[in-house]
Formats: sequence, C-alpha cells, structure tokens
Amino acid sequence: MISVKNLNFSYTRTPFIKNVGFEVKTGEIFGFLGPSGAGKSTLQKILTGLLTGFKGSVLVNGEAIGQHNNSFYENIGVDFEFPSLYEKLTAYENLKFFASLYQKHRDINTLLSKVGLLNDANKKVSDFSKGMKSRLNFIKALLHDPQVLFLDEPTSGLDPSNARVMKDLILNEKAKGKTIILTTHNMYDATELCDRVAFIVDGNIKALDTPRNLIMKRGASKIAYTYSDSGREIKMEVPLNKTSEDETFLRLIRTNCLLSIHSGEPTLNDIFVELTGRQLQ
Amino acid sequence: MRPLFHCFHIFLRQISRDSMLFAVLTAPVLTACAFRFGIPYAEVLLCAYFDKVSILSGYYLLFDLFLAVMTPYMFCFASSMVMLTELDENMARYMAVTPVGKQGYIMSRLVFPGTIAFIVSVILMHFFSLTMWSAPFMTLTCFLTSLLSIAVSLLLVSFSHNRVEGMALAKLSGMIMLGLPVPFFLFSRTQYLFCILPSFWIAKLCVDGNLLLTIPAVLTSLLWILVLYGRFEKILS
Repeated sequence: MISVKNLNFSYTRTPFIKNVGFEVKTGEIFGFLGPSGAGKSTLQKILTGLLTGFKGSVLVNGEAIGQHNNSFYENIGVDFEFPSLYEKLTAYENLKFFASLYQKHRDINTLLSKVGLLNDANKKVSDFSKGMKSRLNFIKALLHDPQVLFLDEPTSGLDPSNARVMKDLILNEKAKGKTIILTTHNMYDATELCDRVAFIVDGNIKALDTPRNLIMKRGASKIAYTYSDSGREIKMEVPLNKTSEDETFLRLIRTNCLLSIHSGEPTLNDIFVELTGRQLQ
Repeated sequence: MRPLFHCFHIFLRQISRDSMLFAVLTAPVLTACAFRFGIPYAEVLLCAYFDKVSILSGYYLLFDLFLAVMTPYMFCFASSMVMLTELDENMARYMAVTPVGKQGYIMSRLVFPGTIAFIVSVILMHFFSLTMWSAPFMTLTCFLTSLLSIAVSLLLVSFSHNRVEGMALAKLSGMIMLGLPVPFFLFSRTQYLFCILPSFWIAKLCVDGNLLLTIPAVLTSLLWILVLYGRFEKILS
C-alpha cells in the first residue's frame, strides 16, 4: 500500500530526512514515533504529497508521489494535528462542504453521532471546545471513506473517554481493511494501536518493528514483589526468566507470604530512550 | 472541476458573511460613480474658480486607470483576506490534501476572483470612464490590471500572518500602484526608475498607445506573480 525507498529531503542545505525506507501493508496501522522536530510530520507531508522536491521513491496507494493528480486524494484521508475547520460554519456545514469535494461520502449524521457531536451539529465551530474540534476534525478525515488514513496526534488534547472513542474508531477503520499511518509521540497510543512502529530521530528511522517485538527484544521483563520481614515491608525485583533461581521468591510463594506481586515490562518509551538516547515526551 | 467550484462557492459564502469584505466589493462601484460624476463637476468648479479652460481634464485618463485598477484590487484584497483567514484556520493547507489540490485552491482564490474582477472592471469602465476607450484597448487594460491585482493578492498572503497584518500590508501595497501617475508627470528617462512596477507599464501603454508596451506590462506582472507564488506555495506546504 505504501512503499518508501531511499527517501531524502531537506528544507535547507542540511539534509533533514536521511535515506528513509519502509513498506506499509494494506490494513496495517503503522506508527511514526518520535520527539518533536524529529521529522515525523515532514514524512507525513511527503507521503500526502504536500511536500515535493524530495529524492527517492514514494508510492502511496499505487501512485508515485510527485506525479499524482488530485483524484489521488479521493482515497486519502488526512487528520492534521491542529483542526482545519471553518470556524464561522456549523459542524454540519463544514462536513457538508468537505463531502461535496469528493465523489462519494459517508452519512454525515452517522459520523457525527459516532463521536458524540450529533446534538452539536448545528453549532458554529467557533463555539466548540478543543476536544470537540479534534473529534470533528477526525471524522472529517473519514468522511469520504478513504483507503489510506494519515492521522497526526489524533488523541492529543482529548479527555480519556473521548480518546477511547477515537481509538476505537481507528481500530474500527483498521478492521475494515484501511491502512493507517499514525504520527504520535504518545507511546501508549502507539503500543495499543500500531501493528508496527518506526522510531524517528533526526530524520532517521532508528528502529522499526512491532511494539511487542521491540519490547521483548530488550528482554528485561521483571517481577516486582513485596513481603514483610520483622514488620518491615521489603521490595524485591527478579527478571522474569530467572524466577526459578530466586529462592526468596519461591519460598514466599510456597508459604503464601507475598504481600504484592506485579509484572514490570519495559514500555516503548524505555525502548525509545535506550535506542535513541532521547525522550519521547 | 467540481471540487474547484465547490471550493469557490465556499469562498463566496465567506465573503457574503463578512460585512467588511462585502463593503469592499461595493467600493469600486462607489468610486466609479464618484469619478464619473464628481470629477467633471469638480473640474467645472475649479476652472470657474481659477479662471482656466482645463485643470483636471488632462488627467481624466489617469482617473480611468485608477478605476481600472480599483476593481481588481478590491476583489483581490477581499480574496487575500479570505485566504489569510483560511491560513489561520489551517484550511488552506488542508485543501491541498483534498481533490481541490494546491493549484486548485490557488485557482479558486486568485484566478476565479481575478477573472470576475476583470469582467466587472470592463463593465465599470464601459459605463463610468471619463475618456473614450476602444473595446479591445479597454479589455487589454482591464486584463493587465487584473493580472497586477493577482500579484498584489499574492504579496499580501505571502508576507502576512493574519488579517490584521494583511490589512496593514494592503495599505503599503498601494505603492505598487505608484507607477500609474509616473508617465503623466515624469517625462525624462527618470520615469524608468519605476520600470519594475507593472502599473508603470500599464499607464505607459495607455498614454503612448504603443501595443508593444503590453509585453513589459505582462512580463513584470508575471515576474511578481512567479516570485510571490513560490513563497506562497511554501506557506501552503
């Protein structure tokens, strides 16, 4: 669905995107993970045809970026990080306008209802809260039922319940076979949603794999447990693959004296820091 | 073309909902009336007062040229204000990733208004000009002023970050029109100091009546458009 080979791009004379290459299969959620200024948005702009003047080959939905025509966007949905909506129009008018730009589109009221905005359909966007604008902006990208979705920080600024609604909608699109490129610096979103993630730092892909593989490669899952000794609470940790060698742990299990036990797996953020020396958030 | 027309429709809708921009579009008609009826009347009063045969009538062509510039200038100003609002609302960039496309967006915001401005300009010139114009020459002049206004519009959207800055820059952009009176008042080679201004060549074309002057008038406008378009395209990305 998406194929990027030897991609190089620079805004100035200094190279910014350096020799990037990856493939995204149909129906996959592929995440760009990296700190601000790493090149995630630039990559997304290149993939959506906003930025030209790059070197290398970029194919999206079978079309070479740079030689695509406007009908290419009939099957591309983009959700920018910052809402792009006509503030003086109502939510419904906004969606109706965008729907008019495409040959086919989904039912507007159904989409509004999915993100809990049906009752606010006739309210001007300027009266919307940040979260409402984000949700409206998101369904705008789904309006024409595109095959490829580019989502930039889709849950940014949303409360947990609305973020959940958005994540469910993203997973729902994946279930329909849509290919999704998710740009984020939220490791939890990436771990939950992405089939594969690419760590982007300084315009380079530092690692590319499934979140699980990236975590497991570190091989440092631990068990943390506590027990009482002479009235004091003792905290201990043991690597998951060495539990049988921890006599204290085994004894506590046999005697039912454990006060608490937790498994501790590294997060994508830990892996990111380890591989790149940079923080995600 | 369908997305493009829908995009233009929303542009018109925005203007119709903005009282300031709506007023801007009526300005050329008011100016045309003021020029057509006010200036000959002022000429009569001035000649009587100063006891002269003519004072303003020698510059009627200049007034006509200002009128020919005014209509596309005001239309393109309104267009620039809409574009700056759309840049503010991230709409301009979003249009580039819809079937409208980057070029389509620019077309609907510059070429379409420029074309309408050209037509309105020809109509106003036909009914309100102070001097006699042949139809082809009037059409040519209005085409050139429309081209110039597209350059002005690009100047506003390329160098302003919002409507307030755009309005401030619009006042400054009046400098581009400074070339209009030059052939009327400067007769030496000094006048060519203004050769970078398309308005200078438009005025010179009308004063001299030499059709070859259309070439520098078109080329200077295209040069402005080309340079400013490059800058604006970067903003859209």
